[in-house]
Amino acid sequence: MAGPLGVSLAPYIRSSPTLSKLFTPVAKWYAGGSLYRQYGLLYDDLLIEERPEVQKALSRLTPRQAYDRQFRIKRASQADVLHAPLPRDQWTTPEQDVRYLLPHVQAVESELQEKAKWDNLDVKRK
Amino acid sequence: MLASTRASVRLTRRSFATAVDVGGLKVAAIDSNQPTVAVTFLAKAGPRYQQKPGVAHALKNFAFKSTADRSALGTVRESELYGGVLSSTLTREHLALTAEFLRGDEEFFVNLLASVVASTKYYRHEYEELVLPAIESEVNALHRDPATHAIELAHALAFRNGLGASLFAAPHTPVTATDVQQFAASAFAKGNFAVLGSGISQSALAALVQHAVSPKSTSPAPTTSATSYFGGESRLETHGGPQTIFIGFGAAGAPAPELAALAAHLDPNPSVKWAKSTSPLLAGEKTSVQAVYLPYSDAALVGLLIQGPTAAGVRESGKAAVAALKGASGVKAEELKSAVAKAKFRLAAGADGRAGVVAVLGSKVLAGSSETSLDAAIASLDKVTSAGFTKAATDLVKNKPTFVAIGDTQALPYADELGL
Repeated sequence: MAGPLGVSLAPYIRSSPTLSKLFTPVAKWYAGGSLYRQYGLLYDDLLIEERPEVQKALSRLTPRQAYDRQFRIKRASQADVLHAPLPRDQWTTPEQDVRYLLPHVQAVESELQEKAKWDNLDVKRK
Repeated sequence: MLASTRASVRLTRRSFATAVDVGGLKVAAIDSNQPTVAVTFLAKAGPRYQQKPGVAHALKNFAFKSTADRSALGTVRESELYGGVLSSTLTREHLALTAEFLRGDEEFFVNLLASVVASTKYYRHEYEELVLPAIESEVNALHRDPATHAIELAHALAFRNGLGASLFAAPHTPVTATDVQQFAASAFAKGNFAVLGSGISQSALAALVQHAVSPKSTSPAPTTSATSYFGGESRLETHGGPQTIFIGFGAAGAPAPELAALAAHLDPNPSVKWAKSTSPLLAGEKTSVQAVYLPYSDAALVGLLIQGPTAAGVRESGKAAVAALKGASGVKAEELKSAVAKAKFRLAAGADGRAGVVAVLGSKVLAGSSETSLDAAIASLDKVTSAGFTKAATDLVKNKPTFVAIGDTQALPYADELGL
């Protein structure tokens, strides 16, 4: 079953030098073209929030990270109400677009997987 | 059959064999043929050594969380599969991480303890999700237990810093996971912790430890200053619990055997269950009195903890307690004899259990003392003379008293009202 992050071919593409060379420019263009950066958001702000794993991951952000996330989302909502992107100096640059939430989501996922493993363990006597 | 039964009965040994040095780590073990094994990693990491208040309590609760080898959940579930019990215990001077398990599982549990010591991750989210709630519940339990609370306050008054530091973090502690990590690095530095085993032979434990543990010597061991005694008075308004007062005196320096005898002499409780004591300390209705003797490496606290349902009863017992403390120097020879016997029995009975052995002898192993048997401590009690006892008791009550009152502070007596 797909996790909160969805099905992704990214690890496979990254593992192959040829494919990553081919896809990196496309990925960069796609990220720039999908407009969330023009609304001052980071990619991880778009992660579907209504899942227990992501909720748990959100609770693990530092107070500063959580505050910044709320600020970005509010600012983007306001810009959306105004039907216009933010001024250019407030756009997210590609360097600012870090995956701050992804490691936490992955950690929570692996914890849940481990719990399922221990819950369903078949103990064999040696 | 009788012969084989006799052969299987062995005397329980009361002392560790000489501690051996395995790569800068002291390893001592005592095997009395029990069916289970206990291995304890004992570190000089009590609140006495902490730089930030509450960090030792946080480290105690951070034990057995995620390490480089396994997660917190994995540690618990895997130990459950082996049927082992993991525990961490904090005293004012030492932190003990203990694993108790069946014979045959030594390798797994020694490796587990080694990874806890060497490679716990001290994740911020584990601190907030697992450690802080545990700290909070222990602090809440403390606030509902006036006896423990009185002893905590008494330590703060008696020794101020160092030994005066509380075993418990304050509610809403400012400690962060990074603080705990830094404290752990110094606590588990080379030469600051020892490995103690019971139910396992010294050579087997040394071999396992040599394989599993490689203490880092990068961080300096935590330091502390020598203890001195101050004393003072503290009152805390609470409701719901019994009225509690603690009257005590402290002494700096290595605890003298006379003080153990004094505590045994002061104890008014009868040796037979349900018997009625004639001691004036127990005159108040339903009032309980406990003699408190807490020896540390360079200080001791002796006193009486009085609890009762009414402040008036506690006041009566308190007056009798002060009279008993001040009159202890005029002890009769036969009273002293029975007090010494009582103190000896308490010491020996305390060291009977597994935890007692570690508590009584572990610190000696850690201090590098060659004398790691109980016999020496018992022999020192035998040498208590009437003159020595009188001198110790007189010197003790010359100090400023430590007085703590918890409960209805309007009605509970002040120290000077009891004649202190």
